[in-house]
Amino acid sequence: MKIKFILFLSCTTFCLFSCTKKESITISGSTTVLPVISNAANAYKNTHTDVNIIVNAGGSGVGMNQLGEEKTSMGMISRDITNAEKEKYPKTNFKVIAIGKDAVVAVVSSEIYDAGITELTLAQLAAVYKGEIKNWKELGGPDKEILCVDKEAARGTRHVFMEIVMGDKEAEAPGADLVLGSNNEEQTSIVQSDAAIGMLSNAWLNDDVKGLNIKMNDSIFIEPSLANIVNGTYPITRNLEIVTRGEPKGQLKEFIDYVLGPEGQKFVEEAGYVKINR
Amino acid sequence: MSKLTGKIGKSYVLTSIIISAIVIVLVFIILVGNSWQAVSNLGWNLFSLRWNAPTGEFGILSMCYGTAIVTLIALLLAVPLGIMTAIFTSEMLPSKLRIPVKSLLELLAGIPSIIYGLIGIAFFAIWLQDLFQLQSGRTILTAGFLLAIMILPTIITLVDDALHNIPKQYQEASMGLGLYKYEIIKNTLLPIAKADIYGAILLAFGRALGETMAVMLVIGSIDKIPSPFFNVLSPGQTITSKLGREIAETSFGSVHFSAMIFMGLILFTLVFIITLFSQRANKKRIRLYE
Repeated sequence: MKIKFILFLSCTTFCLFSCTKKESITISGSTTVLPVISNAANAYKNTHTDVNIIVNAGGSGVGMNQLGEEKTSMGMISRDITNAEKEKYPKTNFKVIAIGKDAVVAVVSSEIYDAGITELTLAQLAAVYKGEIKNWKELGGPDKEILCVDKEAARGTRHVFMEIVMGDKEAEAPGADLVLGSNNEEQTSIVQSDAAIGMLSNAWLNDDVKGLNIKMNDSIFIEPSLANIVNGTYPITRNLEIVTRGEPKGQLKEFIDYVLGPEGQKFVEEAGYVKINR
Repeated sequence: MSKLTGKIGKSYVLTSIIISAIVIVLVFIILVGNSWQAVSNLGWNLFSLRWNAPTGEFGILSMCYGTAIVTLIALLLAVPLGIMTAIFTSEMLPSKLRIPVKSLLELLAGIPSIIYGLIGIAFFAIWLQDLFQLQSGRTILTAGFLLAIMILPTIITLVDDALHNIPKQYQEASMGLGLYKYEIIKNTLLPIAKADIYGAILLAFGRALGETMAVMLVIGSIDKIPSPFFNVLSPGQTITSKLGREIAETSFGSVHFSAMIFMGLILFTLVFIITLFSQRANKKRIRLYE
Protein backbone atom coordinates (compact mmCIF):
# COMPACT_ATOMS: atom_id res chain seq x y z
CA MET A 1 0.00 0.00 0.00
CA LYS A 2 2.68 2.37 1.09
CA ILE A 3 4.90 1.49 -1.84
CA LYS A 4 2.07 2.04 -4.30
CA PHE A 5 1.47 5.46 -2.82
CA ILE A 6 5.13 6.42 -3.11
CA LEU A 7 5.21 5.17 -6.69
CA PHE A 8 2.13 7.20 -7.50
CA LEU A 9 3.61 10.27 -5.91
CA SER A 10 6.90 9.99 -7.74
CA CYS A 11 5.09 9.41 -11.04
CA THR A 12 2.97 12.52 -10.63
CA THR A 13 5.89 14.69 -9.59
CA PHE A 14 7.86 13.39 -12.54
CA CYS A 15 4.99 14.23 -14.88
CA LEU A 16 4.54 17.66 -13.39
CA PHE A 17 8.22 18.43 -13.73
CA SER A 18 8.38 17.33 -17.32
CA CYS A 19 5.33 19.40 -18.15
CA THR A 20 6.67 22.61 -16.65
CA LYS A 21 10.25 22.00 -17.73
CA LYS A 22 11.58 25.36 -18.86
CA GLU A 23 13.85 25.80 -21.79
CA SER A 24 17.15 26.96 -20.41
CA ILE A 25 19.85 29.14 -21.89
CA THR A 26 23.28 28.89 -20.30
CA ILE A 27 25.75 31.72 -20.75
CA SER A 28 29.30 32.17 -19.53
CA GLY A 29 32.34 34.32 -20.18
CA SER A 30 33.74 37.78 -19.68
CA THR A 31 33.19 39.55 -16.37
CA THR A 32 33.16 42.78 -18.38
CA VAL A 33 30.05 41.80 -20.34
CA LEU A 34 28.52 40.01 -17.36
CA PRO A 35 26.68 42.93 -15.70
CA VAL A 36 24.86 43.76 -18.94
CA ILE A 37 23.79 40.23 -19.75
CA SER A 38 22.84 39.21 -16.23
CA ASN A 39 20.69 42.31 -15.72
CA ALA A 40 19.12 41.83 -19.13
CA ALA A 41 18.51 38.16 -18.33
CA ASN A 42 16.78 39.01 -15.05
CA ALA A 43 14.48 41.50 -16.73
CA TYR A 44 13.84 39.11 -19.63
CA LYS A 45 12.90 36.29 -17.26
CA ASN A 46 10.23 38.49 -15.69
CA THR A 47 8.40 38.86 -18.97
CA HIS A 48 9.20 35.43 -20.43
CA THR A 49 8.43 32.92 -17.70
CA ASP A 50 8.96 29.92 -19.98
CA VAL A 51 12.71 30.48 -20.25
CA ASN A 52 15.39 29.97 -17.67
CA ILE A 53 18.63 31.86 -18.23
CA ILE A 54 21.73 30.95 -16.26
CA VAL A 55 24.62 33.42 -16.46
CA ASN A 56 28.09 32.55 -15.22
CA ALA A 57 31.38 34.48 -15.18
CA GLY A 58 34.83 33.04 -15.88
CA GLY A 59 36.47 35.36 -18.39
CA SER A 60 36.44 35.55 -22.18
CA GLY A 61 38.73 32.54 -22.61
CA VAL A 62 36.57 30.36 -20.40
CA GLY A 63 33.45 31.56 -22.22
CA MET A 64 34.86 30.53 -25.59
CA ASN A 65 36.06 27.15 -24.31
CA GLN A 66 32.73 26.26 -22.77
CA LEU A 67 30.87 27.36 -25.88
CA GLY A 68 33.21 25.35 -28.09
CA GLU A 69 32.78 22.27 -25.92
CA GLU A 70 29.01 22.75 -26.05
CA LYS A 71 28.70 23.25 -22.32
CA THR A 72 26.90 26.57 -22.83
CA SER A 73 24.61 28.00 -25.48
CA MET A 74 26.16 31.45 -25.59
CA GLY A 75 29.52 32.99 -24.72
CA MET A 76 30.35 36.54 -23.66
CA ILE A 77 33.66 37.99 -24.85
CA SER A 78 35.24 41.39 -24.42
CA ARG A 79 37.70 40.95 -27.30
CA ASP A 80 37.67 39.34 -30.73
CA ILE A 81 37.84 35.60 -31.24
CA THR A 82 41.44 34.51 -31.68
CA ASN A 83 42.60 32.34 -34.56
CA ALA A 84 43.74 29.73 -32.07
CA GLU A 85 40.18 29.45 -30.80
CA LYS A 86 38.82 29.07 -34.32
CA GLU A 87 41.37 26.32 -34.99
CA LYS A 88 40.54 24.59 -31.73
CA TYR A 89 36.92 24.07 -32.75
CA PRO A 90 37.08 23.76 -36.53
CA LYS A 91 33.59 22.29 -36.81
CA THR A 92 31.93 25.18 -35.02
CA ASN A 93 30.90 28.25 -36.94
CA PHE A 94 31.07 30.95 -34.29
CA LYS A 95 28.64 33.79 -34.82
CA VAL A 96 29.75 37.02 -33.14
CA ILE A 97 27.32 39.79 -32.28
CA ALA A 98 28.47 43.11 -30.82
CA ILE A 99 26.22 44.41 -28.06
CA GLY A 100 28.15 47.46 -26.87
CA LYS A 101 31.44 49.29 -26.68
CA ASP A 102 33.86 49.75 -23.82
CA ALA A 103 37.25 51.21 -23.05
CA VAL A 104 40.03 49.51 -21.14
CA VAL A 105 41.51 52.10 -18.84
CA ALA A 106 44.85 52.15 -17.13
CA VAL A 107 44.01 52.75 -13.49
CA VAL A 108 46.04 53.77 -10.46
CA SER A 109 45.44 53.90 -6.72
CA SER A 110 43.86 57.18 -5.62
CA GLU A 111 47.02 58.09 -3.64
CA ILE A 112 49.06 58.09 -6.84
CA TYR A 113 46.38 59.96 -8.77
CA ASP A 114 46.19 62.63 -6.09
CA ALA A 115 49.98 62.91 -6.08
CA GLY A 116 49.78 64.20 -9.62
CA ILE A 117 49.98 61.24 -11.95
CA THR A 118 46.88 61.73 -14.04
CA GLU A 119 48.15 60.87 -17.47
CA LEU A 120 50.71 58.57 -19.05
CA THR A 121 51.76 57.86 -22.60
CA LEU A 122 51.27 54.40 -24.08
CA ALA A 123 55.06 54.01 -24.10
CA GLN A 124 55.24 54.75 -20.37
CA LEU A 125 52.52 52.20 -19.68
CA ALA A 126 54.43 49.64 -21.74
CA ALA A 127 57.63 50.40 -19.85
CA VAL A 128 55.88 49.81 -16.52
CA TYR A 129 54.52 46.44 -17.66
CA LYS A 130 57.88 45.48 -19.18
CA GLY A 131 59.52 46.17 -15.82
CA GLU A 132 61.70 49.01 -17.13
CA ILE A 133 60.10 51.58 -14.84
CA LYS A 134 59.83 50.37 -11.27
CA ASN A 135 59.26 53.52 -9.23
CA TRP A 136 56.62 56.22 -9.48
CA LYS A 137 59.42 58.77 -9.11
CA GLU A 138 60.53 58.02 -12.67
CA LEU A 139 57.10 59.09 -13.89
CA GLY A 140 57.05 62.26 -11.81
CA GLY A 141 55.17 60.82 -8.85
CA PRO A 142 56.10 60.06 -5.23
CA ASP A 143 59.06 57.86 -4.32
CA LYS A 144 57.15 54.61 -4.15
CA GLU A 145 57.69 51.30 -5.86
CA ILE A 146 55.06 50.52 -8.47
CA LEU A 147 52.78 47.60 -7.71
CA CYS A 148 52.09 46.42 -11.23
CA VAL A 149 48.90 44.35 -11.40
CA ASP A 150 48.49 42.05 -14.38
CA LYS A 151 45.56 39.85 -15.40
CA GLU A 152 45.25 36.16 -16.21
CA ALA A 153 46.39 35.40 -19.75
CA ALA A 154 42.98 34.52 -21.19
CA ARG A 155 41.15 37.60 -19.94
CA GLY A 156 39.65 39.82 -22.65
CA THR A 157 40.56 43.04 -20.85
CA ARG A 158 44.20 42.00 -20.92
CA HIS A 159 44.09 41.08 -24.62
CA VAL A 160 42.79 44.51 -25.57
CA PHE A 161 45.12 46.40 -23.24
CA MET A 162 48.23 44.49 -24.30
CA GLU A 163 47.33 44.69 -28.00
CA ILE A 164 47.38 48.48 -27.90
CA VAL A 165 49.98 49.13 -25.22
CA MET A 166 52.53 46.44 -26.05
CA GLY A 167 51.54 45.65 -29.63
CA ASP A 168 50.81 41.99 -28.96
CA LYS A 169 47.68 40.76 -27.23
CA GLU A 170 49.53 37.87 -25.62
CA ALA A 171 52.59 39.89 -24.64
CA GLU A 172 54.30 38.83 -21.46
CA ALA A 173 54.55 41.37 -18.68
CA PRO A 174 57.83 40.78 -16.86
CA GLY A 175 57.20 43.81 -14.65
CA ALA A 176 54.02 42.38 -13.15
CA ASP A 177 53.90 41.87 -9.38
CA LEU A 178 50.47 40.26 -9.11
CA VAL A 179 48.35 38.30 -11.55
CA LEU A 180 44.64 38.47 -10.82
CA GLY A 181 41.45 37.42 -12.52
CA SER A 182 38.17 39.27 -12.63
CA ASN A 183 37.60 43.03 -12.78
CA ASN A 184 36.36 42.68 -9.23
CA GLU A 185 39.57 41.15 -7.92
CA GLU A 186 41.70 43.65 -9.82
CA GLN A 187 39.70 46.58 -8.45
CA THR A 188 40.03 45.29 -4.87
CA SER A 189 43.79 44.95 -5.11
CA ILE A 190 44.17 48.48 -6.47
CA VAL A 191 41.99 49.91 -3.71
CA GLN A 192 43.96 48.00 -1.08
CA SER A 193 47.28 49.34 -2.30
CA ASP A 194 48.57 52.90 -2.34
CA ALA A 195 50.95 52.48 -5.26
CA ALA A 196 49.24 50.17 -7.71
CA ILE A 197 48.65 50.34 -11.43
CA GLY A 198 46.31 48.02 -13.27
CA MET A 199 43.88 47.71 -16.14
CA LEU A 200 40.14 47.86 -15.74
CA SER A 201 37.07 48.17 -17.84
CA ASN A 202 35.73 51.72 -17.93
CA ALA A 203 32.64 50.67 -15.99
CA TRP A 204 34.65 49.68 -12.92
CA LEU A 205 36.18 53.07 -12.15
CA ASN A 206 35.26 54.84 -8.92
CA ASP A 207 36.65 57.30 -6.37
CA ASP A 208 39.27 54.89 -5.07
CA VAL A 209 40.25 53.60 -8.49
CA LYS A 210 41.03 56.46 -10.85
CA GLY A 211 41.40 56.13 -14.60
CA LEU A 212 44.40 57.73 -16.26
CA ASN A 213 44.21 59.98 -19.29
CA ILE A 214 46.22 58.77 -22.22
CA LYS A 215 48.83 61.26 -23.32
CA MET A 216 49.31 61.24 -27.07
CA ASN A 217 52.54 62.38 -28.68
CA ASP A 218 51.33 65.89 -29.49
CA SER A 219 50.69 66.62 -25.82
CA ILE A 220 46.96 66.02 -26.09
CA PHE A 221 45.39 64.23 -23.15
CA ILE A 222 42.50 61.96 -23.87
CA GLU A 223 40.18 61.33 -20.99
CA PRO A 224 38.48 57.91 -20.81
CA SER A 225 35.07 59.58 -20.93
CA LEU A 226 32.00 58.15 -22.59
CA ALA A 227 32.13 60.89 -25.25
CA ASN A 228 35.69 59.97 -26.18
CA ILE A 229 34.80 56.29 -26.36
CA VAL A 230 31.84 57.00 -28.62
CA ASN A 231 33.77 59.15 -31.08
CA GLY A 232 36.68 56.74 -31.01
CA THR A 233 39.44 59.10 -29.89
CA TYR A 234 40.25 57.13 -26.74
CA PRO A 235 42.79 54.60 -28.03
CA ILE A 236 42.06 51.49 -25.96
CA THR A 237 38.51 50.57 -26.89
CA ARG A 238 36.86 47.31 -27.75
CA ASN A 239 33.54 45.81 -28.65
CA LEU A 240 31.61 43.82 -26.10
CA GLU A 241 30.40 40.76 -27.90
CA ILE A 242 28.30 37.67 -27.50
CA VAL A 243 29.04 34.50 -29.41
CA THR A 244 26.83 31.61 -30.44
CA ARG A 245 27.42 28.37 -32.29
CA GLY A 246 25.99 29.11 -35.72
CA GLU A 247 22.98 31.36 -36.23
CA PRO A 248 21.02 31.70 -32.99
CA LYS A 249 17.61 30.06 -33.08
CA GLY A 250 14.42 29.98 -31.04
CA GLN A 251 14.52 31.29 -27.50
CA LEU A 252 18.18 32.19 -27.75
CA LYS A 253 17.53 34.38 -30.79
CA GLU A 254 14.67 36.08 -29.00
CA PHE A 255 16.88 36.85 -26.03
CA ILE A 256 19.65 38.24 -28.23
CA ASP A 257 17.14 40.42 -30.07
CA TYR A 258 15.98 41.67 -26.68
CA VAL A 259 19.55 42.59 -25.68
CA LEU A 260 20.07 44.43 -28.97
CA GLY A 261 16.72 46.17 -28.71
CA PRO A 262 16.07 49.44 -26.89
CA GLU A 263 15.32 47.75 -23.56
CA GLY A 264 18.43 45.61 -23.62
CA GLN A 265 20.64 48.50 -24.71
CA LYS A 266 19.48 50.38 -21.62
CA PHE A 267 21.36 47.83 -19.52
CA VAL A 268 24.49 48.45 -21.61
CA GLU A 269 24.35 52.13 -20.68
CA GLU A 270 23.43 51.44 -17.06
CA ALA A 271 26.56 49.31 -16.71
CA GLY A 272 28.67 52.26 -17.85
CA TYR A 273 29.33 51.17 -21.43
CA VAL A 274 28.43 52.69 -24.76
CA LYS A 275 25.50 51.28 -26.63
CA ILE A 276 25.89 49.95 -30.11
CA ASN A 277 24.57 51.96 -33.05
CA ARG A 278 22.58 49.82 -35.40
CA MET B 1 18.73 -15.88 8.11
CA SER B 2 21.62 -14.54 10.11
CA LYS B 3 23.99 -16.36 7.77
CA LEU B 4 22.38 -14.60 4.82
CA THR B 5 22.50 -11.14 6.40
CA GLY B 6 26.11 -11.79 7.31
CA LYS B 7 26.85 -12.55 3.68
CA ILE B 8 24.99 -9.47 2.49
CA GLY B 9 26.84 -7.30 4.97
CA LYS B 10 30.15 -8.77 3.93
CA SER B 11 29.57 -8.28 0.21
CA TYR B 12 28.30 -4.74 0.84
CA VAL B 13 31.48 -3.82 2.65
CA LEU B 14 33.56 -5.53 -0.01
CA THR B 15 31.81 -3.67 -2.85
CA SER B 16 32.30 -0.34 -1.12
CA ILE B 17 36.00 -1.03 -0.70
CA ILE B 18 36.36 -2.13 -4.31
CA ILE B 19 34.54 0.96 -5.57
CA SER B 20 36.80 3.32 -3.60
CA ALA B 21 39.87 1.41 -4.76
CA ILE B 22 38.71 1.63 -8.39
CA VAL B 23 38.15 5.37 -8.05
CA ILE B 24 41.71 5.89 -6.80
CA VAL B 25 43.16 3.74 -9.58
CA LEU B 26 41.01 5.51 -12.18
CA VAL B 27 42.11 8.94 -10.99
CA PHE B 28 45.71 7.83 -11.24
CA ILE B 29 45.25 6.36 -14.73
CA ILE B 30 43.44 9.48 -15.96
CA LEU B 31 46.15 11.74 -14.56
CA VAL B 32 48.93 9.69 -16.14
CA GLY B 33 47.07 9.32 -19.45
CA ASN B 34 46.29 13.01 -19.79
CA SER B 35 49.68 14.25 -18.71
CA TRP B 36 51.46 11.94 -21.15
CA GLN B 37 51.11 14.44 -24.00
CA ALA B 38 52.96 17.13 -22.06
CA VAL B 39 55.66 14.72 -20.92
CA SER B 40 56.29 13.39 -24.44
CA ASN B 41 56.18 16.84 -26.07
CA LEU B 42 58.14 18.83 -23.54
CA GLY B 43 60.17 16.26 -21.62
CA TRP B 44 62.56 17.90 -19.19
CA ASN B 45 61.41 21.35 -20.34
CA LEU B 46 58.53 20.83 -17.94
CA PHE B 47 61.01 21.42 -15.16
CA SER B 48 61.95 24.93 -16.18
CA LEU B 49 61.03 28.34 -14.81
CA ARG B 50 59.05 29.90 -17.64
CA TRP B 51 55.32 29.32 -18.01
CA ASN B 52 53.91 31.08 -21.05
CA ALA B 53 51.02 29.35 -22.73
CA PRO B 54 50.97 31.30 -26.05
CA THR B 55 54.58 30.35 -26.82
CA GLY B 56 54.13 26.79 -25.61
CA GLU B 57 56.44 27.02 -22.62
CA PHE B 58 55.21 25.14 -19.59
CA GLY B 59 57.79 25.21 -16.82
CA ILE B 60 56.30 24.06 -13.55
CA LEU B 61 59.25 24.72 -11.23
CA SER B 62 57.92 27.98 -9.78
CA MET B 63 54.62 26.28 -8.92
CA CYS B 64 56.42 23.35 -7.27
CA TYR B 65 58.56 25.80 -5.31
CA GLY B 66 55.48 27.74 -4.22
CA THR B 67 53.73 24.61 -3.01
CA ALA B 68 56.83 23.50 -1.09
CA ILE B 69 57.48 26.83 0.61
CA VAL B 70 53.84 27.54 1.50
CA THR B 71 53.46 24.08 3.00
CA LEU B 72 56.73 24.45 4.88
CA ILE B 73 55.67 27.78 6.41
CA ALA B 74 52.29 26.35 7.37
CA LEU B 75 53.90 23.36 9.09
CA LEU B 76 56.56 25.44 10.84
CA LEU B 77 53.83 27.59 12.36
CA ALA B 78 51.16 24.99 12.99
CA VAL B 79 53.17 22.03 14.33
CA PRO B 80 54.65 23.61 17.48
CA LEU B 81 51.45 25.53 18.17
CA GLY B 82 49.32 22.44 17.59
CA ILE B 83 51.38 20.18 19.82
CA MET B 84 51.47 22.76 22.63
CA THR B 85 47.70 23.24 22.41
CA ALA B 86 47.18 19.48 22.44
CA ILE B 87 49.36 19.14 25.56
CA PHE B 88 47.26 21.84 27.17
CA THR B 89 43.87 20.32 26.30
CA SER B 90 44.92 16.79 27.15
CA GLU B 91 47.08 17.26 30.24
CA MET B 92 46.33 20.58 31.87
CA LEU B 93 42.71 21.35 31.17
CA PRO B 94 40.24 19.88 33.71
CA SER B 95 38.77 16.80 32.05
CA LYS B 96 35.28 18.32 32.23
CA LEU B 97 36.37 21.10 29.89
CA ARG B 98 38.43 18.97 27.54
CA ILE B 99 35.63 17.83 25.21
CA PRO B 100 33.95 21.25 24.79
CA VAL B 101 37.24 22.98 24.13
CA LYS B 102 38.28 20.26 21.72
CA SER B 103 35.00 20.40 19.82
CA LEU B 104 35.34 24.13 19.45
CA LEU B 105 38.81 23.71 18.05
CA GLU B 106 37.59 21.00 15.70
CA LEU B 107 34.95 23.41 14.45
CA LEU B 108 37.81 25.32 12.83
CA ALA B 109 38.30 22.36 10.52
CA GLY B 110 34.71 22.52 9.37
CA ILE B 111 34.80 26.08 8.06
CA PRO B 112 34.83 26.08 4.25
CA SER B 113 38.17 27.16 2.86
CA ILE B 114 36.66 29.94 0.75
CA ILE B 115 35.67 31.66 4.00
CA TYR B 116 39.27 31.53 5.19
CA GLY B 117 40.28 32.92 1.81
CA LEU B 118 37.88 35.84 2.01
CA ILE B 119 38.91 36.69 5.56
CA GLY B 120 42.50 36.37 4.41
CA ILE B 121 42.12 38.80 1.54
CA ALA B 122 39.91 41.28 3.39
CA PHE B 123 41.87 41.54 6.65
CA PHE B 124 44.92 39.35 6.88
CA ALA B 125 46.58 40.57 3.71
CA ILE B 126 46.02 44.18 4.75
CA TRP B 127 47.51 43.62 8.22
CA LEU B 128 50.59 41.99 6.79
CA GLN B 129 50.88 44.76 4.22
CA ASP B 130 50.87 47.42 6.96
CA LEU B 131 53.03 45.42 9.35
CA PHE B 132 55.87 44.76 6.92
CA GLN B 133 55.37 47.92 4.83
CA LEU B 134 54.76 45.82 1.75
CA GLN B 135 53.57 46.81 -1.69
CA SER B 136 50.89 44.20 -1.50
CA GLY B 137 49.66 41.85 1.21
CA ARG B 138 49.21 39.00 -1.27
CA THR B 139 52.32 37.05 -0.42
CA ILE B 140 53.62 33.55 0.12
CA LEU B 141 53.75 34.26 3.86
CA THR B 142 50.07 35.26 3.93
CA ALA B 143 49.15 31.98 2.29
CA GLY B 144 51.38 30.08 4.73
CA PHE B 145 49.76 31.78 7.73
CA LEU B 146 46.28 31.05 6.46
CA LEU B 147 47.13 27.42 5.79
CA ALA B 148 48.65 27.10 9.26
CA ILE B 149 45.31 28.13 10.79
CA MET B 150 43.52 25.66 8.56
CA ILE B 151 45.67 22.63 9.45
CA LEU B 152 45.90 23.48 13.14
CA PRO B 153 42.72 21.62 14.18
CA THR B 154 43.92 18.40 12.50
CA ILE B 155 47.16 18.47 14.47
CA ILE B 156 45.52 19.48 17.75
CA THR B 157 42.82 16.84 17.74
CA LEU B 158 45.07 13.95 16.67
CA VAL B 159 47.88 14.78 19.07
CA ASP B 160 45.39 15.33 21.86
CA ASP B 161 43.93 11.87 21.25
CA ALA B 162 47.39 10.37 21.18
CA LEU B 163 48.33 11.90 24.53
CA HIS B 164 44.98 11.10 26.08
CA ASN B 165 45.15 7.45 25.07
CA ILE B 166 48.33 6.81 27.01
CA PRO B 167 47.33 4.75 30.06
CA LYS B 168 47.36 6.56 33.39
CA GLN B 169 49.90 4.09 34.83
CA TYR B 170 52.71 5.87 33.02
CA GLN B 171 51.83 9.23 34.51
CA GLU B 172 51.30 7.70 37.92
CA ALA B 173 54.60 5.87 37.79
CA SER B 174 56.40 9.04 36.67
CA MET B 175 54.72 11.00 39.42
CA GLY B 176 55.78 8.35 41.87
CA LEU B 177 59.37 8.98 40.83
CA GLY B 178 58.85 12.57 41.93
CA LEU B 179 58.95 14.17 38.47
CA TYR B 180 57.45 17.55 37.80
CA LYS B 181 54.50 17.83 35.39
CA TYR B 182 56.81 19.38 32.81
CA GLU B 183 59.20 16.43 33.09
CA ILE B 184 56.39 13.91 32.82
CA ILE B 185 55.16 15.49 29.60
CA LYS B 186 58.61 15.87 28.12
CA ASN B 187 60.16 12.57 29.14
CA THR B 188 57.25 10.17 29.40
CA LEU B 189 54.23 11.23 27.40
CA LEU B 190 55.78 12.81 24.30
CA PRO B 191 58.19 9.93 23.59
CA ILE B 192 55.35 7.40 23.86
CA ALA B 193 53.09 9.45 21.59
CA LYS B 194 55.87 10.19 19.12
CA ALA B 195 54.63 7.91 16.34
CA ASP B 196 51.10 9.31 16.57
CA ILE B 197 52.37 12.88 16.50
CA TYR B 198 54.39 12.01 13.42
CA GLY B 199 51.25 10.62 11.78
CA ALA B 200 49.26 13.74 12.68
CA ILE B 201 51.88 15.99 11.11
CA LEU B 202 51.89 13.97 7.90
CA LEU B 203 48.11 14.12 7.68
CA ALA B 204 48.19 17.90 8.14
CA PHE B 205 50.96 18.05 5.53
CA GLY B 206 48.69 16.28 3.05
CA ARG B 207 45.88 18.73 3.66
CA ALA B 208 48.18 21.73 3.30
CA LEU B 209 49.46 20.44 -0.04
CA GLY B 210 46.01 20.14 -1.53
CA GLU B 211 44.37 23.31 -0.26
CA THR B 212 43.24 25.49 -3.17
CA MET B 213 40.69 28.24 -2.63
CA ALA B 214 42.17 30.06 0.36
CA VAL B 215 45.67 29.95 -1.07
CA MET B 216 44.52 31.02 -4.53
CA LEU B 217 42.93 34.20 -3.21
CA VAL B 218 45.86 35.42 -1.15
CA ILE B 219 49.04 34.29 -2.88
CA GLY B 220 49.17 36.79 -5.75
CA SER B 221 49.33 34.15 -8.48
CA ILE B 222 52.51 35.13 -10.23
CA ASP B 223 54.56 32.31 -11.76
CA LYS B 224 57.88 33.37 -10.35
CA ILE B 225 60.30 32.18 -7.73
CA PRO B 226 60.95 35.27 -5.58
CA SER B 227 64.44 36.66 -5.49
CA PRO B 228 66.18 35.85 -3.24
CA PHE B 229 64.35 32.55 -3.11
CA PHE B 230 63.68 32.71 0.65
CA ASN B 231 61.93 36.08 0.38
CA VAL B 232 58.49 34.89 1.46
CA LEU B 233 57.13 38.44 1.56
CA SER B 234 56.67 38.45 -2.20
CA PRO B 235 53.85 36.90 -4.23
CA GLY B 236 54.11 33.44 -5.70
CA GLN B 237 52.08 30.58 -7.07
CA THR B 238 51.30 27.08 -5.87
CA ILE B 239 50.31 24.09 -7.98
CA THR B 240 46.76 24.22 -6.67
CA SER B 241 46.31 27.96 -7.18
CA LYS B 242 47.64 27.63 -10.73
CA LEU B 243 45.21 24.80 -11.44
CA GLY B 244 42.34 26.73 -9.89
CA ARG B 245 43.00 29.85 -11.92
CA GLU B 246 43.92 28.40 -15.25
CA ILE B 247 42.36 24.99 -15.80
CA ALA B 248 39.12 26.44 -17.20
CA GLU B 249 41.05 28.44 -19.78
CA THR B 250 42.60 25.38 -21.33
CA SER B 251 40.87 23.22 -23.87
CA PHE B 252 40.67 19.49 -23.34
CA GLY B 253 43.43 17.63 -25.17
CA SER B 254 45.84 20.54 -25.63
CA VAL B 255 49.44 20.51 -24.36
CA HIS B 256 48.44 23.34 -22.03
CA PHE B 257 45.76 21.14 -20.45
CA SER B 258 48.16 18.23 -20.33
CA ALA B 259 50.79 20.30 -18.52
CA MET B 260 48.17 21.32 -15.95
CA ILE B 261 47.25 17.69 -15.41
CA PHE B 262 50.92 16.85 -15.03
CA MET B 263 51.05 19.23 -12.06
CA GLY B 264 48.02 17.44 -10.69
CA LEU B 265 49.87 14.16 -11.06
CA ILE B 266 52.82 15.52 -9.10
CA LEU B 267 50.48 16.60 -6.32
CA PHE B 268 48.74 13.23 -6.35
CA THR B 269 52.05 11.38 -6.13
CA LEU B 270 53.20 13.55 -3.24
CA VAL B 271 50.01 13.02 -1.26
CA PHE B 272 50.20 9.30 -2.03
CA ILE B 273 53.76 9.05 -0.71
CA ILE B 274 52.86 11.01 2.40
CA THR B 275 49.88 8.77 3.07
CA LEU B 276 52.10 5.70 2.74
CA PHE B 277 54.57 7.18 5.22
CA SER B 278 51.87 8.08 7.71
CA GLN B 279 50.48 4.54 7.46
CA ARG B 280 53.91 3.16 8.23
CA ALA B 281 54.31 5.54 11.12
CA ASN B 282 51.10 4.22 12.59
CA LYS B 283 52.06 0.60 12.03
CA LYS B 284 55.49 0.91 13.61
CA ARG B 285 54.01 2.18 16.84
CA ILE B 286 55.33 0.07 19.67
CA ARG B 287 52.72 -0.58 22.28
CA LEU B 288 54.69 -0.29 25.46
CA TYR B 289 51.72 -0.40 27.67
CA GLU B 290 49.18 -2.88 28.91
